[in-house]
Amino acid sequence: MRLFRQTFRAMAGEHELQLAHHDIAVARRAAAAAIADVKRIEAKYSRYLADSVTSRINAAAGRDAVAIDTETAALLRYAEQCFALSEGLFDITSGVLRRVWDFKADPPRLPTASELASVVQLVGWSRVEWADNAIRLPQAGMEIDFGGIGKEYAADRVATVCLEHGLRHGLVNLSGDVRAIGPQPDGSPWRVGIRHPRAQGAAIAGFDLAAGALATSGDYERYFDVAGTRYCHILNPATGMPVAHWQSVSVVSPLCVVAGSCATIAMLLEDKGAAFLDAQGVQWLGVAADGSLAGPAA
Amino acid sequence: MAVTERNLQLLAAALALPGVMPSAHAQSAPDKGIFELQYLSYRDWQPGRNRMSVDAPACYALIPLSDTWVVEGGMVYDAMSGASPLYFNVLSGASIGDYRTAGDLKVTKYMGDWAYSVGGFVSSEQDFLSRGGSLNLQFFSDDRNRTWLVGVAGTNDRINATNGVAPNSERNSWEFVVGVTQALTPNDIVQSNLTFYSGHGYYSDPYKPLDTRPSTRDTYAWLTRYNHYFVDADATLKIGYRLLFDSFGDTSNTFEASWAQALPWGFVVTPALRFYTQTSADFYMNPPFPSGFVEGQNYSADTRLASFGAITAGAMVSKTVWDGWNVSLRADYYRQDPDWQVFGSGSPGIQTFSARWFQVNLSKNF
Repeated sequence: MRLFRQTFRAMAGEHELQLAHHDIAVARRAAAAAIADVKRIEAKYSRYLADSVTSRINAAAGRDAVAIDTETAALLRYAEQCFALSEGLFDITSGVLRRVWDFKADPPRLPTASELASVVQLVGWSRVEWADNAIRLPQAGMEIDFGGIGKEYAADRVATVCLEHGLRHGLVNLSGDVRAIGPQPDGSPWRVGIRHPRAQGAAIAGFDLAAGALATSGDYERYFDVAGTRYCHILNPATGMPVAHWQSVSVVSPLCVVAGSCATIAMLLEDKGAAFLDAQGVQWLGVAADGSLAGPAA
Repeated sequence: MAVTERNLQLLAAALALPGVMPSAHAQSAPDKGIFELQYLSYRDWQPGRNRMSVDAPACYALIPLSDTWVVEGGMVYDAMSGASPLYFNVLSGASIGDYRTAGDLKVTKYMGDWAYSVGGFVSSEQDFLSRGGSLNLQFFSDDRNRTWLVGVAGTNDRINATNGVAPNSERNSWEFVVGVTQALTPNDIVQSNLTFYSGHGYYSDPYKPLDTRPSTRDTYAWLTRYNHYFVDADATLKIGYRLLFDSFGDTSNTFEASWAQALPWGFVVTPALRFYTQTSADFYMNPPFPSGFVEGQNYSADTRLASFGAITAGAMVSKTVWDGWNVSLRADYYRQDPDWQVFGSGSPGIQTFSARWFQVNLSKNF
């Protein structure tokens, strides 16, 4: 059995596939099909592309309903479940909050209360009118995005494409969202490290993954520090303010999309995140604001 | 419990996302075509003499015409020579030199959660013409892990023996099948089919003196197969069992197993073993010929209707040669022995019978 590795860029990230098969041509074909599917999802849902489904829905906000296909409807149904289980904190309309949070600004600048109020009033998944075949954003300026779901969903689909090509050993890593196709060629699990939230390049812990997925949500991806306080890109949709309870949360689940959304929901729930994760029955590891570890895997 | 329900809600919603888990199984129209060339060489023998040989080139193609239409068909050409097979030594006079040409064509239309297939086939020899058609319906479960099959086939056979026995004879039959295929896990799949066959017409062998068989025949067969993929070994175990009751009075049991082991460089080696055992037909009479013959009653001395057991052992080696091409070589050895009958005793006075097959196959996926 030979191991085939391929790195590629998509969805503004660097990704890697490790695929093992006795026929390297099979692994190569699977990788090509998998990467094509990731790029398909990117083209379909990227908010940076004007002709994507997401952009068309957002462009029609406050006006017309936009027809959607079954894949988009399934993603919306999933987003609805996340919204319900997170007490409204996981909200795919909260991307508008980015308008007042510029994490690249130098020097960093905190938004004013009126700036926050102007965008918070555009957030509200419960006001979105949608069905299996169409969606309408009721207010001009409202937006949806699949940022919290799309890449994890793509990781699960990559695993499926590889399984359907006959692969039984492999690891999908879409810039930190990891899904195992099966164990390593020798049968042992993959050793997946959890990034240290405050020390880039260092691991704070590790998980053994023979099947299933591992995803991490953290405050270190986009942020700035002002007067010793970390302001990260994970924003509470009710207040528009960054969450602060966790530096990062990592979750293991059979599906990457579940692991990813559980991790993000736990970040958003802050001090109620641990209880949520325990209730979900998932394996998890949290790094609290003071750097201490929490969770059954701690 | 609330915890479990909440947990299931999220995972269930995620599992409804298309393509996050494999469906283990093709249920939509195949999107790849197949072209296959095959050559089969068959020889059989009994102690002290060679009997029959068959050389058969064949081809098969499956072509997706669109996302929902698939057409497939095959042709086979058999050249047979030698003595009539499986026949008593004392009667092995008639030498066979015959050719058979056969072809079939099937069109399948996929309708989302179900599909239908319409097929036809014809097989022609100097003294035998068989024609038929079939209609199959398949129903796929929402998760695509289960497929139900319902099918019917009708066949008309015309027999014109070269020795002039029973000229312009005919038989007609219907076959009905109901089956289910279930993917239990991504690595386990089980299939079970019930088949009922009912025919009417000429079933005797015109080349065997005094051979007189019933003019109606019903069979009931139950076939179950199970495949398991061993992830660590990168191998697939296939086991199967078939039980068949025939209104001629014989009952047969077939047990089979094979192990497809993937090896480096694209090789797959598949050893296979099959055990078959049958009881004799009610009207089968043991040697010496023609003991037991009564004028006006059914009678056959055809050892194919005797009580015996048989073992087939074989192996196949296949290799992916380059993009989409596959070559396989297969060899099988068959031996039939009345002492190997396990449900009752074997028919006395018949010899062992042996056969071997060699098969070369070249296929291309496109």
